[in-house]
Amino acid sequence: MFLEIQEIRKSFGSGENRTEVLKGASLAVDKGEFCVLLGPSGSGKSTLLNIVGGIDAADSGEIAIGGERMSGMKERRLTDYRRRHLGYVFQMYNLIPNLTVRENIEVGAYLSEDPLDVDDLLHTLGLDEHQRKLPGQLSGGQQQRTAIGRAVVKKPDILLCDEPTGALDYQTSREILKLIETVSRRYGSTVLMVTHNDAIRRMADRVVRLRDGQIRDNRLNEQRIPAEELEW
Amino acid sequence: MVRKKNPLYRRLPRELRSELGKYLVIFLLLTGSIGFVSGFLVADGSILAAYEESFEKYNIEDGNFHLSEKMNRAQRSSIEDFGVTLYDNFYATETLTNGSRLRIFQNRSEVNLVCLMEGRMPETADEIAIDRMYADNNGLSVGDTLQSESRSLTISGLVALPDYSCLFEDNGDSMFDAVQFGMAVMSAEGFSTFHDAELTWSYSWKYDADIAPTDEDAEQEISEELMKAMLREVGLEAFVPRYLNQAIMFTGDDFSSDKAMMTALLYMVMAIMAFVFAVTTNATIAKEANVIGVLRASGYTRGELIRHYMTLPLLVTLAGMLVGNLLGYTVFKNLCAGMYYGSYSLPTYETRWNAEAFLLTTLVPGILMLLINFVLLRRTLSLSPLKFLRRDLSRKSRSRALPLPRRVPFFTRFRLRIIFQNAGNYAILFVGVLFANLLLMFGLIFPSVLNHYQATLEDNLLCNYQYILQIPLSAMNEERKLESLLSMLLFSLDAQTENEDAEEFTAYSLVTLEGEYKSEEVLLYGIAADSRYINADFEEEQIYISQAYAEKFGTQPGDIITLKEEYGDEYYDFTVSGVYAYEGALALFMEQDYLNAYFDLGDDYFSGYFSDTEITDLNDQYISSVIDLEALTKITRQLNVSMGTMMYMVDAFSVVMFLVLIYLLSKTIIEKNAQSVSMAKILGYTPGEIGRLYILSTTLVVILCLLVTLPLETRIMYWLFRAVMLTSITGWIPFYMDPLIYVQMFALGITAYTLVALLELRRIRQIPMDEALKNVE
Repeated sequence: MFLEIQEIRKSFGSGENRTEVLKGASLAVDKGEFCVLLGPSGSGKSTLLNIVGGIDAADSGEIAIGGERMSGMKERRLTDYRRRHLGYVFQMYNLIPNLTVRENIEVGAYLSEDPLDVDDLLHTLGLDEHQRKLPGQLSGGQQQRTAIGRAVVKKPDILLCDEPTGALDYQTSREILKLIETVSRRYGSTVLMVTHNDAIRRMADRVVRLRDGQIRDNRLNEQRIPAEELEW
Repeated sequence: MVRKKNPLYRRLPRELRSELGKYLVIFLLLTGSIGFVSGFLVADGSILAAYEESFEKYNIEDGNFHLSEKMNRAQRSSIEDFGVTLYDNFYATETLTNGSRLRIFQNRSEVNLVCLMEGRMPETADEIAIDRMYADNNGLSVGDTLQSESRSLTISGLVALPDYSCLFEDNGDSMFDAVQFGMAVMSAEGFSTFHDAELTWSYSWKYDADIAPTDEDAEQEISEELMKAMLREVGLEAFVPRYLNQAIMFTGDDFSSDKAMMTALLYMVMAIMAFVFAVTTNATIAKEANVIGVLRASGYTRGELIRHYMTLPLLVTLAGMLVGNLLGYTVFKNLCAGMYYGSYSLPTYETRWNAEAFLLTTLVPGILMLLINFVLLRRTLSLSPLKFLRRDLSRKSRSRALPLPRRVPFFTRFRLRIIFQNAGNYAILFVGVLFANLLLMFGLIFPSVLNHYQATLEDNLLCNYQYILQIPLSAMNEERKLESLLSMLLFSLDAQTENEDAEEFTAYSLVTLEGEYKSEEVLLYGIAADSRYINADFEEEQIYISQAYAEKFGTQPGDIITLKEEYGDEYYDFTVSGVYAYEGALALFMEQDYLNAYFDLGDDYFSGYFSDTEITDLNDQYISSVIDLEALTKITRQLNVSMGTMMYMVDAFSVVMFLVLIYLLSKTIIEKNAQSVSMAKILGYTPGEIGRLYILSTTLVVILCLLVTLPLETRIMYWLFRAVMLTSITGWIPFYMDPLIYVQMFALGITAYTLVALLELRRIRQIPMDEALKNVE
C-alpha cells in the first residue's frame, strides 16, 4: 500500500481534562486512490489528516508514505517530507491577499523541482481570465480553485483536503469536487478528504468512517460515480 | 540547478504600498538618526583631522610663558640653551565699545601661523583681522569698524589662530568665552602703535628636535625642567606647556567625548527601532497566521519564511542607511560642522571619508537590526504549522482569562482586557517613552540648569568684586632671595587701596590630584577675622569647602582631601569641617592667619581683595584677575551659545521619536483587533464608542508611562549629568530639575499622543465591516 497508517493514538489535555481523540486508528490507501474520511464533529478525522500531513504528531503509532516512515522525523525532515509529498486544501482558502491568482499558484510551484505548467493548470482550473486578480476580487469558489491550484501544482503524492467545500454552496461545491477529481486523476495524486457531507462518499474509491476516535468502517466503493453526478 | 526566485517576494512592493505609513516613518526616523550621527561623525572626524594636522601645518607652539617685562638677549640665549627656540608672541588687550575684549597679536610668521578664513590679512596700520567665531558671535563682518577708546580699526579679514582654537582667556577659566573675548592680528605697522605698557610680554617656545617629547608624560617632565631653567633667568608670570593649554587642547578632548555621546545615542535609537520592527513584524505574522500555517504545511521552511518577513524591514533599514549616509555627508555634516564652528575657532577643513563613521552608523546598526529581528522572528516562527492554522500564536498553553469583578463597569473591563492582551506592546511602549522622554528631558533641562546656576551665583556671590592680585613670580624665587624680598616689598606698597569696602584676603592656588578626573585648580581663600564678606566662624584650623567642591567630588564634613602644588611635588591634606554655600568655584575657606602660616607666606601676606564696589586705585599690573558676576557667568554664557541650537534639535528629535513609537505601536494594536473592531461595528457600536474602547486603553497606558517614567528619567538624568559634568568641564554646575520641566514634558507627550490618537480614530473608522467575515474558522 502507498499510504500506511497503523495504530495511531492521539490525546489532548492532561489529567482530568485529557481527551483521547484517536484510539488506535489504522488505514491503508493505494496510490492514486480517492479516500474520503467521514464522521461527525469530534470523531478525530481532521486530527488524523493533520498527523498524516506532518503538522501534528501522534502519541503512538506509525505512518509511512511509499515506505518512508514518519516516526522520529525532526522538524527539518518533516518540512522536507511535506514539501516533497503533500498538498493541502483547507475549508478556508488562506490565499496570500497581496499576491495575484497566478502568483498564489506559483507559491506552490516554487516548492517543487518539477512543477506542473502554471498556464496549463490555470486553464484546467478555469482561472485563465482571473489570473491577474487578487484574492479579494474573487468569489469563494474561485478562491478555493486557486487554493487547489496552489496545492496540486507541485504534483504532490497525496492531496490532503480538510472540508474543502465546507464554506461553499451546492453548485460551487460540486464544481470544486469535480476539479479535485480531475486533477487527482490527471496527475495521479492520492486524495485524502475529510468531510461530514455523506453524499461525497459516492465519488470516492475508498470510504472510511470514524467515530469516537476509531475507524468503524473501511471499504472500497464499488459503485463510484463521477463528482458531477453527485446530489445532496 | 538554477535557484528559483521565491514568488513570495513579489508581494513585497505591494506590502510596502499597503503599509506605506509604517515603513515611511521608520525610514524617516532611521534616515534622520543615521544621517545626523553620520554627519556628526564625519564632521567630527574631518575637523578633528584638520585640528590634529594644524599642529604641524600651523607650527603650533610647544608652550608659552609671560614675563613682567621684555626679555633681554642674554636671558633669551640662556633659556634657548636648554634646547628650545623662543618666539615673541606679545599681545595687547583692547576693550571695545561693545564691551568685549580683544587680544591683539602681531601677525605671526614662524609659530602659531594664522589661518585666513575670509577677506585678507591686515596690511595698513588701521586694519585688523579678527577671530572668525568672535566675529560670528558679535555680528561682525569684513569691512566693519571696531571702536575702542583710543583706536578705530577696520576689519580686513576673519581668521583662526591655531593656538586659540578654544577661546580661553585665562588657562584657569572653567569655560571659554567666545562672546566677550576674541583674538585678532594686526600688521607689524599697526601693532607697533601699542606702547610697551599696553603689552603683555608673552613668548612661545618650541623644543629642538632632539629633545622634543613624544608623549604627555615626557612633555610634563621636560616642561617642568624647562620651567626650573627659566626661573633661574627670569621671573615668570605664567607658564603654560602645550599639554596643559586649554586654548589648544580642549577642542580635541571635547571632540572625543561628543563622539562617544552621539554613538551611544545612535545605538539606543537603533535598539528601539529594531524592537519596533520586531513588534510590527510580529503583528504582520499574527495577521497572516493562516497563510503562514498553509505555507508551512505545504513545505515552506522556517528559514524561507524568516527571510521573507525580514526582507522589508531590512530593505527599509538599508535604504535608511544609504540615504542617511548620503544626507550625513552633505546636509548634516554641514549642520554639525556649523555647530562646532559655532563653539570653536577652527581652521578650515576638508571632508574626509570616515570608515569608522560608516561602521558605526551603517554596519553595526544593520547587524543589530538583523539580529534582533532574526531572533524574534525565529522564536515566533518556531511554532507548529497547526498553531498558525488555528491562529493560536501563544507559546504557553492558553491561560485562563484573568477574573475581573462584575461590578467593574463593562467598558472598563473591556479596556483592561485590551491592556492585558497587548502587554508586550505596552512594555515596548514603556521603554520607548522612557528613552524619548529622557532625550526630551536632556534637551529641556540644559537651559534650565544654566539659568538656575546663574541665579544661584547671583544669590551667593562672595562679594561683587574679587580682585586676585598678581604677585610677580620674581617675588617668589627662592634661588634669588634678595631680589624676591625687594619685589615683595614693592608689591605690598603698590597693591594698597583706599576703597573702604575692600577687605584683604589671601588666595592660594592648588590643584586636585590626577585620577579618575583630570586635575583642576582649587582656590584656597584665607579669610580675615570678622570678615564682612564671608559669613562663617572659622575656629582654629577649620576648613570649609565650597558647595561646588562638595557636590563635584561628593565630599562631606570629616573627609580628608589631598591637594598638590600645580608645578611641584608638595602634597597637602585638609580635613573638611563644613560646606560653605558658594557655587562659583572649587574653593577652600579658612582663616587668613592659618593659611599664611600653613604655606609660610608671612603674617601680613595677602593676595586679593573682596569688595562690593569697584576698586579703581589699584595698579593694573598687579591685578591678576577680577572675579565678578560677569566672569563667573562666562561658563553659562558660552554653554548657551555652543549648546543652545543642539538642545533644540534634541527636543525636536525626541518628540519625533515619541510620535513614531506611539504611532507604530497603537497602529499595531488597532490592526491586531481589526476583526473585533469590525464585529463591534456590525453589532452597532459607533466609531466613537469603539475609539473609547481601543484608543482609551492606549491613552491610559501612555499617561501612565509618561508619569511613571518621570522619576526614573530624573534619576538617570542626574547620573548622566554628573558623568558629563565630571568629565567634560572644569569647575562645577549643579544639577537642577525645574518642576516646570515635568509639566512641559507631560504636555508635549500628551499633545503628540493626541495627534496619533486622531489618526487612529480615523483608522478605526476605515476598518470595513466585512473584515469580521474574513478568515474566521
